[in-house]
Amino acid sequence: MSLDIVVCVKTNPDAQMIRIKNREPVLEAIPYKVGDLEKNALEAALQLRDAAGGGTIRALTVVEGDRKIRETIKEALAMGADEAVIVADPALAGADQAGIAAALAAAVAKIGACDVLLFGEGSTDNYSGQVGARVAELLGWPQIGYAKKLALAGGGIEAERSMDEMIETLAAPLPVAVTVVSEINEPRPISLMNILKAGKKPVTEWTLADLGLDAVGAQKRIVSNLAEEQDRKHVLFAGAVDEQVDAFVNALVKEGVVGR
Amino acid sequence: MDFRYTTEQDLYRQAIREWLAKNLEPRAREIEEKEDGIPSDITAGMAELGMFGVTIPEEFGGCAVPGEELIYAMITIHEVARADLSMSTPVYTLLTIGWSYIINKYGTDELKQELLPKVAEGKAFAGINTTEPGGGSDLAAIKTTALWDEGRQAYMLNGEKAYVSGPKECMKWGPPSGHCTLVKTDPASGHKGMTFIWVPAHLDGIQWTVYEDMGRMGLSTGGWIYKDVALPKKYVLGEEGKGFYTVMDGFNAARVLVVAACLGGAEKALEISGEYTAQRTTFGKPLGKYEGISFEMANDWMQLDLLKINLLRGAWMMGYESENPGSFARKDINRVISTCKCLAPTLGHEIARHGMMYHGAFGYTKETPLEMFLRGVMSYEVGAEGGLNIMRGIIARDTWGDTHNPFKD
Repeated sequence: MSLDIVVCVKTNPDAQMIRIKNREPVLEAIPYKVGDLEKNALEAALQLRDAAGGGTIRALTVVEGDRKIRETIKEALAMGADEAVIVADPALAGADQAGIAAALAAAVAKIGACDVLLFGEGSTDNYSGQVGARVAELLGWPQIGYAKKLALAGGGIEAERSMDEMIETLAAPLPVAVTVVSEINEPRPISLMNILKAGKKPVTEWTLADLGLDAVGAQKRIVSNLAEEQDRKHVLFAGAVDEQVDAFVNALVKEGVVGR
Repeated sequence: MDFRYTTEQDLYRQAIREWLAKNLEPRAREIEEKEDGIPSDITAGMAELGMFGVTIPEEFGGCAVPGEELIYAMITIHEVARADLSMSTPVYTLLTIGWSYIINKYGTDELKQELLPKVAEGKAFAGINTTEPGGGSDLAAIKTTALWDEGRQAYMLNGEKAYVSGPKECMKWGPPSGHCTLVKTDPASGHKGMTFIWVPAHLDGIQWTVYEDMGRMGLSTGGWIYKDVALPKKYVLGEEGKGFYTVMDGFNAARVLVVAACLGGAEKALEISGEYTAQRTTFGKPLGKYEGISFEMANDWMQLDLLKINLLRGAWMMGYESENPGSFARKDINRVISTCKCLAPTLGHEIARHGMMYHGAFGYTKETPLEMFLRGVMSYEVGAEGGLNIMRGIIARDTWGDTHNPFKD
């Protein structure tokens, strides 16, 4: 069986290089990297293709155009994608999840050969977790979110998802869109041999016009994107050690942290 | 002119940094204390990522980028040294890939075919063997001979070598592991009678011993005794009688990697100090706020940064020269690389020592890797791959000529 896979790859600012100033990240001259979850998606693609015994893996990315994307995407090619498709257009600047999904869906439709469409569950920077589901909806494909295990089964795909107190197993026919969580696999390390081959793999570049799209303007604006601050409870347990331990365990049970 | 790594070089650096941090760094102390070499799963993993193939062309199983061999080798060693501050794995690796570079450049096709694919797979050790019990710096005075025996169609090797890295490693991997060895094929002709030749460690007539070192305990050091060892012609590196020049070219490549090891380790040691002095407070403020500490760290950072740039320059010059012969005078390359080799080991030692001071009594324990780096990096301070004063001698000779050449009366 031949399985054609498209992996949607977002390139993010290298988190290790970012300094925080006045609670805002300083993005000046920060290199972009393929996101960690996208690497899980790529690894899942490689494993599925191996299981199928053949097929083409394409890395697909959309970008507003000034991120040295042809260089950054080499990381996905070095990991094992056979080809890259870049949708680069200045009109993508400021696009929100709906706009990005529109561009991705149009690109997947134009690529044509796609049995499985893979995403990370969210991106390293914004982590909205919306894009995979939006693209599936636009394409009218079944969608499986947050897969922690993927396998080919009965001509389609079978996926496991971790729910609160159970594991859910879902099956879907092809073509299907799947978002993956980091537990799904350990992305393979990249060898120098594959890095050197990456530069020779085909890269296709499209604009929004090539996809028959006009501008994909943002319908929302991010005012602030900060983690919620949590107040600590500062509870002290007094008494003998045994009493302290009992009181501590009781408090944890009461909070619902343990012993549910 | 561009001071940046290429995308490929940077991807490689990131990929191996990640792998080494996960797989080698947690085991550095174990490698140091077991004194049993580099674990085979580590060398196998390194080989899989291409680390042992960076100086070996594809036709011999490697993944060398022509003209960029030493840049990739430098990146490799820098990153390996960051992960193993004992210096065992970086030195094992730099010897193997550094001397493979020279074997590829000067060796016969037969030798390359026999050895290089195994090196690229991480299943052979290649080292350097010049020093003798009588001395190391005065290479022209070596006594080991390999005289051509017409009847046996072989050079007959006799003599003794000392302070050589890798005897146990050669035994671990078996043939064709061995050493690039400097011998006299025409003892009457001084340095013009010298030949550089590959000596596999398993030939008949070879005996070896192991010394007890003070550091870098995951890599053995020892001595060799040769009695009528027959070396076929295929093992000659470069031309017979030109061994002195071949070994000098080899030392320039090796020194690039030795310096990369010192600087990679120093960079990591300085990072460790940076983290510690940010967290540790005395008299109500972090150690980093004391200028007695932060200014010393800034000085160390400056020296480190200058040497990193100069090393990149040296590695680039050697690569450019090999692709475009005649671009640089040998003395220009010599001086850049000798500058690095003269300064980097001492800087590494100083950065380790400074870090230990910031850590106080904690720094004197084996809970930090700083003491391990201090002991390891000193091997390059006391002499390996050219003593510090030999570097000064090269710079004096190559800058002011005969009047300042300490190697010639």
